[in-house]
Parts: sequence; structure tokens; C-alpha cells
Amino acid sequence: MKYFKLPDLGEGLPEAEIVEWMISEGDQVTTDQILATVETAKAIIEIPSPQDGVIAHLFGQAGDTIHTGEPLLEFAGEEDDSGTVVGELKKSSDTTTEDHFFIGAAPSTQAHSQKMTPAVRSLASRLNVDTDNRQGSGENGQLTTDDIERLARTDRTHGKAEPLRGVRKQMARNMARAHAEVVPVTLNEDVDIHDWEDNEDITMRLIHAIAVGCKAEPAMNTWFDGQQLARRVLSKINLGVAVDTEQGLFVPVVRDIGNRSLSDIRDGLNQLRQDVINRTIPPSELQGGTITLSNFGTIAGRYASPIVVPPTVAILGAGVIREQVVPVAGEIAVRRVLPLSLTFDHRAATGGEAARFMRAVLDDLARKSIS
Amino acid sequence: MSNSMTMVEAVNLALHSEMQRDSSVVILGEDVGVNGGVFRATVGLRDEFGIKRVLDTPLAETMIAGLSVGMASQGLKPVAEIQFMGFILAAMEHLIGHAARLRHRTRGRLHCPMVLRVPFGGGIHAPEHHSESTEALFAHIPGLRVVIPSSPARAYGLLLAAIRNPDPVIFMEPKRIYRLNAQPVEDSGKALPLDTCYTLREGADITLISWGAMIKETLEAADTLAEQAISCEVIDLVTLNPIDHKTILASVAKTGRCVIIHEAPKSCAVGAEISATIAERELLNLQAPVNRVTGYDTVMPYYRMENHYMPNTTDIIDAVTNTLEFS
Repeated sequence: MKYFKLPDLGEGLPEAEIVEWMISEGDQVTTDQILATVETAKAIIEIPSPQDGVIAHLFGQAGDTIHTGEPLLEFAGEEDDSGTVVGELKKSSDTTTEDHFFIGAAPSTQAHSQKMTPAVRSLASRLNVDTDNRQGSGENGQLTTDDIERLARTDRTHGKAEPLRGVRKQMARNMARAHAEVVPVTLNEDVDIHDWEDNEDITMRLIHAIAVGCKAEPAMNTWFDGQQLARRVLSKINLGVAVDTEQGLFVPVVRDIGNRSLSDIRDGLNQLRQDVINRTIPPSELQGGTITLSNFGTIAGRYASPIVVPPTVAILGAGVIREQVVPVAGEIAVRRVLPLSLTFDHRAATGGEAARFMRAVLDDLARKSIS
Repeated sequence: MSNSMTMVEAVNLALHSEMQRDSSVVILGEDVGVNGGVFRATVGLRDEFGIKRVLDTPLAETMIAGLSVGMASQGLKPVAEIQFMGFILAAMEHLIGHAARLRHRTRGRLHCPMVLRVPFGGGIHAPEHHSESTEALFAHIPGLRVVIPSSPARAYGLLLAAIRNPDPVIFMEPKRIYRLNAQPVEDSGKALPLDTCYTLREGADITLISWGAMIKETLEAADTLAEQAISCEVIDLVTLNPIDHKTILASVAKTGRCVIIHEAPKSCAVGAEISATIAERELLNLQAPVNRVTGYDTVMPYYRMENHYMPNTTDIIDAVTNTLEFS
């Protein structure tokens, strides 16, 4: 193998960003030696060498994005054919190939680059202005000298825009797609948890309540396909738990919360969180969620309008627990309440189904204890 | 039924096929009859169709061309062979002065459905006058069609189209690849369209335009570059006059970059025409200057120096790399 190409790093990951090269050009490497770490939308992954050899060339530096199937590096010393012509007519080779051609232009032929004169292109290059996806003020969106100078001024005044990478880029895409597709409805309600026993684990109470809610109303634990207008009501409840990190939003999946013991779930969740923080979480642990929990109350905020990410149809948000004056049996009392926000995709579920789910969640959370 | 065959066999098949279909098709040229042609392009035709339809001529290119113009103007469809491109110069007077303008001169009363087949190009270590690529001399002349195939199957379909075309066609055969590769060719009697480019590879990063034998090196370069994730669109020009600018401009609008590859010397060659048209009409989408990989502005050297003259795969890869690296 002369060129080592970026292998498929897991379902639905078209690209990866080079974090660090572990080797340099000219190095001798052995099979399985780590060549580089790359960051995908979901994790940091180490790339081992497929063979022994000497590295001739590295394609890209730290921070560069490489698409799956593109070469990552080149091994030295593996020759191409020379193709010299010797004497008279070369005879037909043994291989026969079918003739393949398009009459006229290839099907993919469509202009998509930015139009500008060479002088403007050169100015953009000199002023280090990024012109991708810029609408120009000239005829048919053509970029003009004025456009480039204006963009350069903005860069000078406010600094250059930093392109999103990795998880943050994926979040931007996912959220935009969710916003474009989903028909969201959000229900808000408080639940009185004043009677909880000491040391109740809030996260575990929420997970338990979601499991109870899904059993009471399976319509919330489904995958919905908006293209086919079809849904799968799922028997297993795989809970995606939103984890906030500096790099962006991760949603590792706790499997089968309906059938596992609470302590087992707690251990699993701790492990997932740790893996997320260390960025060692394998892509498979971030896939297959059927419903989502966002516990933003650990930071701040009472109610929210959480975003449902297809194909799931529901997400439950939990806000900050607070003390509140509430009427209890006709008397004024100060009680601890937990605010909840449930968003569901109204294409996939009815308001009644969502409300019944919410009812079951509230009732479960109102219990003194679940252990 | 499709048999695997080389380009020169496909040329023979097309001639045979059209002579069977159309009794007005006649073959003439030096050694085309008894000998079967120096490259064996016309082998077997004299035996099958007789001496009235396959004429061995004297060693006189002026006469071959003049005879063809006369036959064509009076209802025959001559397919003449000039043995090597270097010998075509004696035929110029008839081709440019008469064949190209017969329709115009007679206001459409006469036309000139002749084909002049001519093996051309270097790389086979032949003597002087046997290796030139002077396609630009003919592509410059209004009224002459210039057609160059680059594969056996397309040679078959294009030669049929050339014979059926009502106006004169200079059908240039890249002899370096006459027997290089075999591929299935069906004797379907179906002509391929003239006056259009053929896109051999679909790509996104750069447009490579070539014709004739250099298509081989161009495709090799595209294959090598593909391993480095450089996606080349490869366009076979095929008809050099009139040029299908539409296909070329659309491709360059997509890729923004273009390298033209031909064996002929650089100055005033067909590559210059393509480059100029891209500059005129697709300037705003160009990401880099149009680059040319060509032979040198010199007399075609004898065989010892020939390989230095011929553009090769590395030259093309270098030109593509330079074009892509232009910021």
C-alpha cells in the first residue's frame, strides 16, 4: 500500500480532523504503531499503522480536516509504473476494458464556485479573506473589490471568524436539521419533591421517572422517519444524556434503562461521563438513543424549550430545584420543587400521549423514594 | 456480438461495415489494396469489395486528395488514406482550396462527403516525416472537420460518423495507440456524434483536456492523482473543428482549473484556442491560469531524442499540481 487512506471510523462519520501526528516524514513505523490521533464529530480516535514502512509524506497538519477515503499519508519506496515507450507500436495488453464515456459533459457538471475576476481573487488572497459561500454585491452574486475590502475590514476590526470544528460543527448541523424538520411542542410543569428522602440521587430519579413514563406511554420512546412518515415504537429504552463540555455537546447513551438496576445504571453513566470528558468515548456509545434527558438544572435555568433530534421524538429537560411558596391542602407552604420541560415532536405523537407521559413522570418523581 | 479488438482493427471493422451498407463508399491510398495498408487498417477489403472500390494509388498525395474531391463532388463517398501525417502537406491545396469550400462556392449545389484518414503522432521511433502532429493546420480551416479518436470503440463509431458526414472530415488516427489496448467493439453500425467532446472521467478538482494518444498519459495521470484524492475530470476533445466549447466551459466552471495536454508544439496549437476561449468566457470561475503540457516548438526530433519531446505522465501530474497549488 502506497497511500494510507483515512478509514471509515464509524457509522455516519464522513470526516475527521487531525489532532496530532505521532510520527513525522521519514520515520520508520511498524504495524499497529499509532500514527495520529484524529477527532471526529464524536470522539478522539487513534489511528494505527496498517503496515511496516517508512513515511514519505503526511497529508495535512494538525487542525486539517480529512474526509473518509482520502489519503492520510504516503509510504515510501513503493514504485509506480514508469510508462516509457519503446520501439514501434506497443502491442495490445491482455486486459480488455469496456469503453466508458459520457457524450458531452459529465452529469455532475455544475458550477458552484465563487465568481470573481482574477484581480479580485488575488486581492482576497492577499488580504487573507475567506470567500467561500459569500454572496457578492456584483452581477449574479459576483464578488467585487469593495466586497473583499469590506470583508477584510470586518476581519481587522473584529478578528477572523473561527470555523466550527468537530463536535461543535456537528451540533450546529444537527440542530439546524432538527429545527427544519421537527414540529416541537413543549410542556412545562413543576413537581413537588419536598418529601424526598435525604440523599436522593436527582439524576437517577429522573432516569427512573423517564423509564416509568415510557412504559406508561410508549409513544414517547419511538424513532420517527419524517421522509417515510413511519415510526418504530421501541421496546428498549436507551436514554441519551446530554453532557456539556468545552468542546461542545455530547449525548452518550445509557442502554436499556427499563430493565437494569439503578446502581448498574449509575455505574454505566459515570463511566460514560468519564469517557466523554477524556474524549475516549467510542462512536458506538453515542448512537442508538431513543429518548433524551437534559439536566441543565445543574447549572442554571428553570424552564427551557429543549430540541428534539430526529429520529427520537422526545426530550425531557430538568431545571434548577428551588424552594417555592405553594398551596398545600389550602395552606401556604414552602416546598422544594423541580421544574420540568418536555419537548415532543408533534408529527410523531399526540398532545395526549405527551401529557400522559408527563403525568407518569411527575407521579414517579413525587414518590418519596424509589430504592 | 462484440469482439475484443485494437483501434486499428476497429478502423478496419468500421470501413468494412460501412462499405457493406453503402456501395458509394470507396477506399483509396498508397498500399491500401494488395498490401492492406502499412498499419493493416484496410486489410481484407480489396479481396472482399474488389479493385473498383479499393484503389491502390501512386505515391502522389496531391492526386489522392484531388481524386477524392472529385469523387465526393460527384456522389461517391471516398475514404482516402494518407500514409503518414508528414506526407499530407502535398494534399493541402485540394483540402483547403477545394474540399473545405465546395459547399460554399456552389451555394450548396455540391458538397464534399470525403474522409481523409491519416495516422499521426510520435512515440513509435519512426523516421523523419512520420511522427508529426499537425492537427492545428486543419482545425484552423473553416469547412474542414477534424476528428481524432482515442479508443477502439470510439474509433469505430466516429469513423462511421465521419463517412456519413456530408462534408469533408480529416480523420486523424493516433498510431502510437493503434495496437496498445483491445476492448470490446460491437459491429452495431451505430455512429457516435461528431462536434461534441467526450467526458472520460468525471471529476471535481481540475479539468484535463486532451485528444488522441495523449489521452493514455492523461488518464494515467488522473489515476495517480486520484490516489492522492485529487479528482480530475478528463475531457477527450475528439472533434477539433468545430470545438465543443460548451462542454469544456461547463467543466471549467465546475472545477475552476484546467490543464490542456497535446503532443503538438505549443505555439498556435489547438490548446491555445481552448485556453483563449476559457479566458474569454469563463474568467470569473477560474481559480488558476490555464496550463498547457505540450510538445516543444521544434521540428519533431528523430527517435533518439523523441522521448524527450513527448509529454509524459509526470509532466501532466506536475502541471496539475502546480495548477492546484496556485492560490
